Amino acid sequence: MTKKLNIALVGNPNSGKTTVFNNLTGTHQYVGNWPGVTVEKKEGTCRYQDYQITVADLPGVYSLTAYSLDEIIARDFIVEEKPDVVVDIVDAGNLERNLYLTVQLLEMGARLIVALNMMDEAGGRGYRIDLEHLSYHLGTPVVPMVASRNRGTQELLGQIARIAESRVPPSGLRIDYGREVEEEIEKLEDLISQSALSRLYPARWLAVKLLEEDEEVTKKFKEGNVD
Amino acid sequence: MATKSLAQMRPKERGKITKVGGSGHTHRRILDMGVVPSTEVTVERVAPLGDPIEIKIKGYHLSLRKEEAVQIYVEMIER
Ligand SMILES: Nc1nc2c(ncn2[C@@H]2O[C@H](COP(=O)(O)OP(=O)(O)OP(=O)(O)O)[C@@H](O)[C@H]2O)c(=O)[nH]1
Ligand SMILES: [Mg+2]
Repeated sequence: MTKKLNIALVGNPNSGKTTVFNNLTGTHQYVGNWPGVTVEKKEGTCRYQDYQITVADLPGVYSLTAYSLDEIIARDFIVEEKPDVVVDIVDAGNLERNLYLTVQLLEMGARLIVALNMMDEAGGRGYRIDLEHLSYHLGTPVVPMVASRNRGTQELLGQIARIAESRVPPSGLRIDYGREVEEEIEKLEDLISQSALSRLYPARWLAVKLLEEDEEVTKKFKEGNVD
Repeated sequence: MATKSLAQMRPKERGKITKVGGSGHTHRRILDMGVVPSTEVTVERVAPLGDPIEIKIKGYHLSLRKEEAVQIYVEMIER
């Protein structure tokens, strides 16, 4: 029996998403467009053990705010399509900047694997990354990779299967925004949890987005709460 | 403690960001890329007329337009 899995690759621009995508899917790729827009949509398939995996290569983004089309595409895909596993391709040589997106993905409740790519470049710059420590704090698996030399692909597939199989709960990582902000989040969360929107999105994530005055979320909220 | 805008800094000068002014998409993008208060920056190169200005932040290089740099305030770090 083949089991179907949907996964998405996200990450900062130039972190190696398409290289990983090519390693995973080889020639089994098709290119289309995201609905209604001209941004290219790349999907492909691969087989691993008894899994038939559909892989989506999302546009490169630094963040998941609603400020650019790329960000909206990436965000909507994760929230609405709810892929079984989201693989966050992180440039190991630019860890601090890249982890901002990682934290946003975790706040969205994505079932995440961190693919720590460009380990060769990080090593070349003398960086030594404590993988276990990182994994412990993020609450996600961390897979070291050198995608340009097809290194780490099997380990990544192994983790994808493991996460899908064990139904591991999403990471419990929670950023403490400080007392003042947390109080507001709590109030909003209470209200949000009574709305229909909270079935689609994590209440805490919606609360943070409302406080940020995120246009798209604010709009969705108004539409979804007419009564 | 001397406070300047990024646009007033010279190559090799270092500072700690105290405030990032501005609004709209570019402002948001700058924050998303890690240009946030209490982060250290070094000015790497400044083009003629001060536009663009290249900085190093969180271990990577970033080019900023002058109009963005004038809104980013830093506390100078003595060498
Ligand atoms: N040294 C090194 N280079 C890599 C690695 N992985 C990818 N690259 C290179 O990095 C560049 C960018 O890779 P892409 O796969 O196109 O990155 P991307 O994330 O798809 O980029 P965008 O779609 O533009 O956001 C290419 O030149 C790759 O060959 C790696 O592990 N090490
Ligand atoms: Mg790409």
